[in-house]
Amino acid sequence: MKLTIERSTLLKALAHVQSVVERRNTIPILANVLLDASDGTLTLTATDMDLAITEKVDADVSQAGASTAPAHTFYDIVRKLPDGAQVEVETDAAASQLLLRAGRSRFSLSTLPIEDFPVLSGGDLPVAFSLTADELRAVIDRTRFAISTEETRYYLNGIYLHAVEADGEHFLRAVATDGHRLARVETALPAGAEGMPGVIAPRKAIAEVRKLIDETTNPVEVALSDTRMRLEFDGIVLTSKLIDGTFPDYERVIPTDNDKVLVVDSGVFAAAVDRVSTISSEKSRSIKLAVNPGSLTLSATSTENGSATEELEVGYSDSGLEIGFNSKYLLDITSQIEGDEAQFILADPASPTIVRDTADDRALYVLMPMRV
Amino acid sequence: MTIRMLPETVVNRIAAGEVVERPAAAVKELVENALDAGAHQIDVVLRDGGRTLISVTDDGCGMTADEMTLAVERHATSKLPDDDLTRVLTMGFRGEALPSIGAVSRLTITSRPRDGEAWQLLLEGGRKGAPQPASHAYGTRVEVRDLFYATPARLKFLKTERTELDHAVDAVQRLAMAYPEVGFTVSDGEKTRFACASETDLTGDEAALLRRLAAVMGRDFSENALTVDAERDGVRLFGFAGLPTLNRNTTRHQYLFVNGRPVRDKLLHGAVRGAYQDFLARQRHPLVALFVEIDPELVDVNVHPAKTEVRFRDAGVVRGLIVGALRHALAEAGHRASTTVADTALGALRPGSGLPYPGRSAYPTGGSTLPRELAEAVASYYAPVEGQIPGLDGASAAAPATVDDDAAAMAGGDHPLGAARAQVHETYIVAQTGDGIVIVDQHAAHERLVYERMKKALENGGVMRQGLLLPEVIDLDDAIATRLADRAEELSELGLVLEKFGSGAVVVREVPALLGQTDVGALVRDLADDLAEMDTALALRERLEEVCSTMACHGSVRAGRQLNPTEMNALLREMEVTPHAGQCNHGRPTYVELKLADIERLFGRR
Ligand SMILES: Nc1ncnc2c1ncn2[C@@H]1O[C@H](COP(=O)(O)OP(=O)(O)O)[C@@H](O)[C@H]1O
Ligand SMILES: [Mg+2]
Repeated sequence: MKLTIERSTLLKALAHVQSVVERRNTIPILANVLLDASDGTLTLTATDMDLAITEKVDADVSQAGASTAPAHTFYDIVRKLPDGAQVEVETDAAASQLLLRAGRSRFSLSTLPIEDFPVLSGGDLPVAFSLTADELRAVIDRTRFAISTEETRYYLNGIYLHAVEADGEHFLRAVATDGHRLARVETALPAGAEGMPGVIAPRKAIAEVRKLIDETTNPVEVALSDTRMRLEFDGIVLTSKLIDGTFPDYERVIPTDNDKVLVVDSGVFAAAVDRVSTISSEKSRSIKLAVNPGSLTLSATSTENGSATEELEVGYSDSGLEIGFNSKYLLDITSQIEGDEAQFILADPASPTIVRDTADDRALYVLMPMRV
Repeated sequence: MTIRMLPETVVNRIAAGEVVERPAAAVKELVENALDAGAHQIDVVLRDGGRTLISVTDDGCGMTADEMTLAVERHATSKLPDDDLTRVLTMGFRGEALPSIGAVSRLTITSRPRDGEAWQLLLEGGRKGAPQPASHAYGTRVEVRDLFYATPARLKFLKTERTELDHAVDAVQRLAMAYPEVGFTVSDGEKTRFACASETDLTGDEAALLRRLAAVMGRDFSENALTVDAERDGVRLFGFAGLPTLNRNTTRHQYLFVNGRPVRDKLLHGAVRGAYQDFLARQRHPLVALFVEIDPELVDVNVHPAKTEVRFRDAGVVRGLIVGALRHALAEAGHRASTTVADTALGALRPGSGLPYPGRSAYPTGGSTLPRELAEAVASYYAPVEGQIPGLDGASAAAPATVDDDAAAMAGGDHPLGAARAQVHETYIVAQTGDGIVIVDQHAAHERLVYERMKKALENGGVMRQGLLLPEVIDLDDAIATRLADRAEELSELGLVLEKFGSGAVVVREVPALLGQTDVGALVRDLADDLAEMDTALALRERLEEVCSTMACHGSVRAGRQLNPTEMNALLREMEVTPHAGQCNHGRPTYVELKLADIERLFGRR
């Protein structure tokens, strides 16, 4: 293998793929990135066995071939090369070393046999559809904060994607919950997704996807089976296993007869929650909402720190109500509200509360209160 | 198919399997017999870990030839005069030991009652000989040779000589703790492995008992033991509990005796863990020796052939009594930190253990072998350096906080921790008290204060509960689920709201917000174990307190921060009014105290 490539092109691709590689690896080959050069293209692949990212970039290939090299080291080297440098990449005769040359710098990286590199087979992915980058970003952002990190309930460690029909309309719906709060967002069902299975996309894959699509404007091609998913755009292919589990029947926990509607200015509300919760204890972060017609009083007390209150003007005309929440959960939700107003639909201090964005009826959040 | 009665020898071998599973069990049975016979001195010899010989000699009441012949018969005992199993007052009562041991070994009994002749009886693999006249001082000697020769399978399971000997010593020690007035020796035929003289003390039984406990558990224990004495519902508990600063990584040094009988019971370890939970890290265990006296009718000692287990009619009372009494003793102890700490400190300063020390043995006096130059060098090292106080020049020695007039007042009786004099190495506060000095580890002390404050906040403010959107159903044994549900109210005060869910499950609806996202299933199962084992919701408390303690650790002043005299004195004053300020959350002392007398001893003034 022998090729020359623009430093910035190589850097960008390496940055993408190396982020899959875990810092600590018990299987040596998983610390490596697979390089495959042919026909003016260099293909880079990294995997942790559950997730693989492959990226194709232009390169001046003078001799086709493949090799593997330590991903983090390779990335660090390229990162430190001067901007605009041309990087020559070459394997030695025995293919046991990967030689890098740029300007007067020379590096020689030890390689591992390409045969050892695990191939995350795509398998048959019967469902295929396309989402705009904007849609995908919105779906991920509105839900990922609610993904559970508690590993015994592994089936909550991801975003549940599935097709639903409501009032004759079809949607692609994404749901995440950690058992304390739930986020649900939907977008029009793309063509091709009609028969899709309900799948749970794991947290790590979601995080990688979100990073990769941060800047793109091109549509993302999605393909699915019930065990795997593949996303493709801008020459990048991400393949991930899906969580093998059953997502709980979340519809059950979304209350339907909450009837007390509180409307707040989301920016003002978020800022006030943030201020008042400074007082509440670091771990439980509880904050109390006392709702009365026309006004909302936020308060927090802590035996350690003291107390705080703040009154807000709000839209509310029902009977008075006091309810407590984890302030961090409130802030997580309000930061996803794009419109000026957030709507809280309450029942009582012990029951789940619904939060909606008045400007965006595709998103819905459910939050369990906190009590003393 | 022919059904027949098993011959006596076979029956006895089967019984032997239950009663004597290893040499230590035979030793235990024989020593118990000697104790029942009213012995004052019991001598045990084991050869090859008891495999070739176990010999137990006592000076008890002895047996006549007829009694001896009967004693080796199955279920023959002199100890259940009214056939009432509910009123067992002796160690033995099953009449099984001698025939069982005799069935699997070569057993010789030599015995002479006070006013009779000495006789000897042989029993070999269960076959009984006729009593022969012998010569013997009064009392009994039982010799067991070639244990398990008749049951080779059992022989194979014996561990190394060393292990078997250790077990036997442990069995004798446990009995020795229950009988301070009896003297014991254990030898391996060559060396004495354990010995304690009969303890009697004019000042009372307590002192005698503590000396005996020290013989088994070590001097450390007797020097750091708190007296435990409590009574509830007719059950009396007494004994000694070690200070938390004296701890081990196993529960081996926790002993329980019921009506003078050493027993092994999980109840003890659970109760001890509960009582000490505030003071010790999870993996550290205190030392205790506790004696329960209870109406024999309220406890069943006939649970296991080896009689090492008991069953209380009301285990809750006993457990509650133990936890309560230990907590009380610990609270009373308040500020007392382990003397071992101060002693170790002093030891480190004493001659011979570190640098050569002037004016004492290590200092070269006449006849010393130290070359003169070196001797001078040593002497000059200790001479005060002109114009500069060694050790106080660097930044790390900090400003020796010269304290004003209040100091005298603070060093007086009102303030046991005295007046701060200096901070050294930005880590330790040195304070002067009425009769000595106190050295405080600032981080450990502050951490404890913060922790106690947070715990109080938890108690006063209540535990915040986070509702679960998806209630968690946890499958459990039905009895366990019911037990948990019965305690629902108490659990909800700790932030965990659950209820019974059909049969064999509970559903959890709210969890303590402090725990954040937590493995609810594991928490509930741990709780169920705790409730079964020790009847308290320890796991939940522990977890909450663990969070408090990590937060306390992060929220407290670190070693390395300079404190001014006001800050130091404030810390000392707060320590004085905070319960349990003598230990940090991990069982280490937060301060050590050196009495003036100790310091004077150090300098050879006393
Ligand atoms: N060391 C001894 N001194 C006096 N009597 C003994 C001694 N050992 C055993 N005996 C007598 O032999 C009987 C049988 O002993 P054992 O088989 O251990 O049953 P147990 O102790 O349950 O009665 C005892 O009840 C006691 O009368
Ligand atoms: Mg006996």
